[in-house]
Amino acid sequence: MKPILQAADVLKKYRLGSQVVSVLNGITLGVFPGEIVAILGTSGCGKTTFLNIAAGLERPTGGDIVINGHNLNKISEQNMAAFRRRYIGFVFQLYNLIPSLTALENATLPLVFEGIPPAQREKRGRVLLQKMGLGDRLGHKPNELSGGQRQRVSLARAMINNPRIIFADEPTGNLDSRTTEEILRLLISSVREMKQTLLLVTHDLDVAAYGDRIVEMVDGSIVRERTVSVPLK
Amino acid sequence: MLKRDLLLMANRNLWRRRARTILTCLGVLIGTTSIVVMLSLGIGLKQGMEQTMAQWGSLEIVRIHAGMQFDREGNPIGEEQRLNDGTVAEIKAIPGVVAVSPIYNVHSEATLGRKRGHISLVGMDIKAMAELEFTLAHGRLPKPEERFTVVAGYQVINNFMDERAMRGGMPFNPAAQDPTELLDRRIRLTMHNQADHEKKQTFNVYVVGILDEQNMERAWEVYGSIADIKRMRDFMLEGTEQQGNMLLPSPFPAARAMAVRPSASAGRGGRDDRRDDYDSILLRTNDLADTKRISAALREQGFNAWSIADDLEGIEHTSRIIQAILGGIGSITLFVAALGITNTMIMSIYERTREIGIIKVIGASFGDVRALFLTEASLIGLFGGMLGLGLSYGISAIVDRIGSSYMLQGMLMGSGEAVYISVIPPWLALFAVGFAVLIGLGSGLYPANRAIRLSPIVAMRNE
Ligand SMILES: Nc1ncnc2c1ncn2[C@@H]1O[C@H](COP(=O)(O)OP(=O)(O)OP(=O)(O)O)[C@@H](O)[C@H]1O
Ligand SMILES: [Mg+2]
Repeated sequence: MKPILQAADVLKKYRLGSQVVSVLNGITLGVFPGEIVAILGTSGCGKTTFLNIAAGLERPTGGDIVINGHNLNKISEQNMAAFRRRYIGFVFQLYNLIPSLTALENATLPLVFEGIPPAQREKRGRVLLQKMGLGDRLGHKPNELSGGQRQRVSLARAMINNPRIIFADEPTGNLDSRTTEEILRLLISSVREMKQTLLLVTHDLDVAAYGDRIVEMVDGSIVRERTVSVPLK
Repeated sequence: MLKRDLLLMANRNLWRRRARTILTCLGVLIGTTSIVVMLSLGIGLKQGMEQTMAQWGSLEIVRIHAGMQFDREGNPIGEEQRLNDGTVAEIKAIPGVVAVSPIYNVHSEATLGRKRGHISLVGMDIKAMAELEFTLAHGRLPKPEERFTVVAGYQVINNFMDERAMRGGMPFNPAAQDPTELLDRRIRLTMHNQADHEKKQTFNVYVVGILDEQNMERAWEVYGSIADIKRMRDFMLEGTEQQGNMLLPSPFPAARAMAVRPSASAGRGGRDDRRDDYDSILLRTNDLADTKRISAALREQGFNAWSIADDLEGIEHTSRIIQAILGGIGSITLFVAALGITNTMIMSIYERTREIGIIKVIGASFGDVRALFLTEASLIGLFGGMLGLGLSYGISAIVDRIGSSYMLQGMLMGSGEAVYISVIPPWLALFAVGFAVLIGLGSGLYPANRAIRLSPIVAMRNE
């Protein structure tokens, strides 16, 4: 089987004044369709940087990212938006919802940029938020929702396009352990149901254990990989 | 992204910062209002003038008076030009001249039945009358083969007074005199020789037509064939030494007659052959542009040429200057308003950095982000422009109400037409709003490009 995402020797260096900081030192990783891969590492080891590069939000200093046969280095900044819309969903640690929009509007925002008419957007948003357990919170603004509820809206937003890959950067970093479990179960069950691929970044081994495979990062390099024999649900 | 969504989103973003948006709109409002009101004053002024001018006479008629033109220092312009048959032929040959007629003017005591008065007679080429825009309210124009038939201006009747009725204590009411009273009537003219005042001769003219009210310049004169009028004139000047046209001031307007300086030609030889020189020459052109061109060219040659278009040109010029100044003030205001919009949009980008990052990550394209910011900026322009236009209509109405009470008596005597001092034609309204939107759009360009260049991750890292 061909990987849906292939990172090949990805380098990232930042120049801070006269100093060059190397954040990623040649990451090579293949992620297969339907797979859930957890990237585990301590704070500051470069997980977010890698995820951003893999999602095309940032350009690598060296190496290639190929998603579904498209090399991101060959996609212009202009076309990247359309590419992301089509292939990628994103979940952030800090939810990143738009405060002035309701839950329903936030969840369906990607469809706005796709040019889908309001009635259709609303229908799709309702169904999805219902599934996320927010059927009675459609009209709430983010600041009227709890952290867990906000992250559910954010999950819905990542999935509304039915993207091929979902990138989740510490999606439970701000939640208590019970909510963490709820959110992760929700995320993983819908990924499985939609036959999507998930790249999950965390510093928490318990969270990483939800993946099919755990990739451990230390100081910008992958040091260990292991397959989880019996993934948690 | 659908246009509808774009507009809704832009509109919603604007009203999230209500006070700031309103203040920014206010700048556009003031700018638009000043431009519109100022332009409308210019347009109203010009329109009012044209309206008035058109009543005073045709814009296609040029009148050449005898005598010379002088510049401001009192130096004559060009060679002195005589008004004789050679000149008439010369003028006829100028391209753009449609019709020409030489003119003699005489004044006479007149009797119309029981009424007596003084009238002013103009002799001209009967064949050129129609071409020179002699339009009739009643009757017909004189025919070339007729003798002593005339047409009278519609006010000529008011030169006559019924002295017997007045002596009888009846109040004289000019408004009660009907111009058609003259029609098909004989006017008896009593002329005095200028060398010997006791020498008198009577001429009878027969009124075949009454001119309409189009041309106020012709309202008080009686027009007949040049041959007939010349006979009267010859009788009056018989035995005089002086040049005829100097003795007979041009009846209209008085100010222009003053500009003619008899001294310039006095004392030179050849007076006798100048006696038959015409008092003036009338010509008609095809349009306003030709009028301006031809009358300017004639003046250049030393002719004392004048047309209403010349006065109009002066007014146009003044009006243009006023408009330019006023429009300039408005433009500056709008320019400042434009800076205000740019500033607002930049502030808005700072506030919404994170949000811009988010929408980029979830799939807003460069085009979407640009369109969003440009739409927001244009909407500020649109709101400001529309409110400004509304305010302008209000101000315009107030100016008209206050102004017309002053203007009406002064400018248009007896005219029933209303004078608008401030006129906002539809094109100005459209232009104003369109321009305000364009200002908004232009002001949004720089902020929009800034928003596009924001890197999504940098934007989202923004704390
Ligand atoms: N724009 C930047 N300029 C300079 N250094 C950067 C930049 N972005 C990230 N870094 C550095 O790269 C390193 C990795 O950062 P990154 O955010 O990828 O860590 P992380 O593994 O996601 O950490 P955490 O678990 O705390 O989120 C850090 O040391 C950080 O200081
Ligand atoms: Mg991180």
